Amino acid sequence: MAELKELLKNWAELMQKNQQRLIELDGAVGDSDLGLTMADGFRAAYEAVGDSAENDAGKFAYFAGKAMGSAVPSTMGTLMASGLMNAGKELRGVETMDGSQWARFFRAFYAGVQSRGKAQLGEKTFLDGLYPAVEALEQNTGDMKTAAPLAAKAAQEAFEATRGMLARHGRMAIRGEQSREYLDPGAAVAVLLMEGFSQTMMR
Amino acid sequence: MKKIINTAERFIPEMLEGIYAAHPDELAYVEGDLHCLVNARRHEGKVGLATGGGSGHLPLFLGYVGEGMLDGCAIGDVFQSPSAEQMLAVTRHIDQGGGVLYIYGNYNGDIFNFDTAAEMADFEHGIRVESCVAGEDVAGPAAASGEPNRRRGVAGIYFVFKCAGAAAADGLSLNEVKRVADKACANVRTMGVALSSCTVPRVGRPSFEIGGTEMEIGMGIHGEPGVRRGELLPADAIVDEMLAPVISDLPYQSGDEVAVLVNGLGATPLEELYVIYRRVNETLTARGIRVFHAYVGEFATSMEMAGASISLLKVDDELKKYLAAPANTPFYKQFAL
Repeated sequence: MAELKELLKNWAELMQKNQQRLIELDGAVGDSDLGLTMADGFRAAYEAVGDSAENDAGKFAYFAGKAMGSAVPSTMGTLMASGLMNAGKELRGVETMDGSQWARFFRAFYAGVQSRGKAQLGEKTFLDGLYPAVEALEQNTGDMKTAAPLAAKAAQEAFEATRGMLARHGRMAIRGEQSREYLDPGAAVAVLLMEGFSQTMMR
Repeated sequence: MKKIINTAERFIPEMLEGIYAAHPDELAYVEGDLHCLVNARRHEGKVGLATGGGSGHLPLFLGYVGEGMLDGCAIGDVFQSPSAEQMLAVTRHIDQGGGVLYIYGNYNGDIFNFDTAAEMADFEHGIRVESCVAGEDVAGPAAASGEPNRRRGVAGIYFVFKCAGAAAADGLSLNEVKRVADKACANVRTMGVALSSCTVPRVGRPSFEIGGTEMEIGMGIHGEPGVRRGELLPADAIVDEMLAPVISDLPYQSGDEVAVLVNGLGATPLEELYVIYRRVNETLTARGIRVFHAYVGEFATSMEMAGASISLLKVDDELKKYLAAPANTPFYKQFAL
């Protein structure tokens, strides 16, 4: 569980460090609370399991997600909580994380967010940032030290590509065609998740 | 910011402490969490009705928990959804074996959390949950076929609470109560107007800027953009601009019978609401639409926002029966009509 714990710690630190940047990205299009909810939410997730002796990766992720959902029941907070909880359901009973388990973890995270939020790819959301990263992990499950940085790079490129997309969800959608001018703050969160994962794998 | 509060952080917990202190025989909270409110009286075997949403809209949402209406409500911070766990706590308490119906407004945060709560209720406790999501604000476009409804839920949700509440009190099953709630949802439409902004205490400044002589037609109850901003017009002209898109949307036609709700957003006096109702009544009469019952007052507010909304519910014999049934909550009382 050391790696999962480390991952949650890295996520909490990254969200905290990038709080202001997320506030600014979100402030252009939303109600600018994304930076606060992500920092508070990932901190709550880490604190809930940071001292846990749980050996089941699934339960570990599930309870981290549940704590996050309670701490930040905003739209994005609930979506990230759903991702973690679904990853937890998928990995129930797994005690050792290897490349293929990590790929399953992120695939299930993606699926959890998708089924809760019901957005489709190309609709300028978090999913657009995470999807190519999951694909990158799945292509090289034998070597996470190579795959994780590539996944982080894929997420970054996908985030940059959200400029130009038409928003279909959330407050950004109110802007209609004008939404194409903006980067998606949700996809920026996906980049931070993959950066945190890459840091964890490179230790 | 000019508000009678102690601190912004303690605003909602202290509001709730005041509510429980004032109505100890009618309202209670569960699992030690002030945000998980339930009717203090239980009725054996009844289908449970729960709602929830952000604070800042009293008497919406918690004000409709009581006799002949809802059984529980999960309460969030100002304009923020409560958590799925809080919804689950309410759900567990009000389920009496017949299942629970969630009725709430069409906002992403609420949808995600209620959906999560419904899954947890089923997965962890075997409680059957159905949902009815109200989204009747015609300021937003109607959904294209196959697309989800993106319209906001506003004051018209009162009618859904009232009809479903009476149906559940009558002993109907979960499926039947849901059918009644869905019918009310399908037949209600609303349009609002805002004259001034509200201020979220923790933000400390008005949610949006609006000129001293301006109004915005179609603005949402959290300050979401409306359809037209312009100089304030005489009441009749404002009503005409609000009512026309409501009437044409369903549409409400000559020969129809409707319940009307003229709702104040918080800072608009009852006097003005009756000036609005006068014109609504005149217009409906001229169009051959009969008014079954008129409700005028504050049903869904946006703290100190000035403005109003107009809702119409097309009624049939069944909805009339449930609207006419008595109801009694600390915030809402109605004799049998």
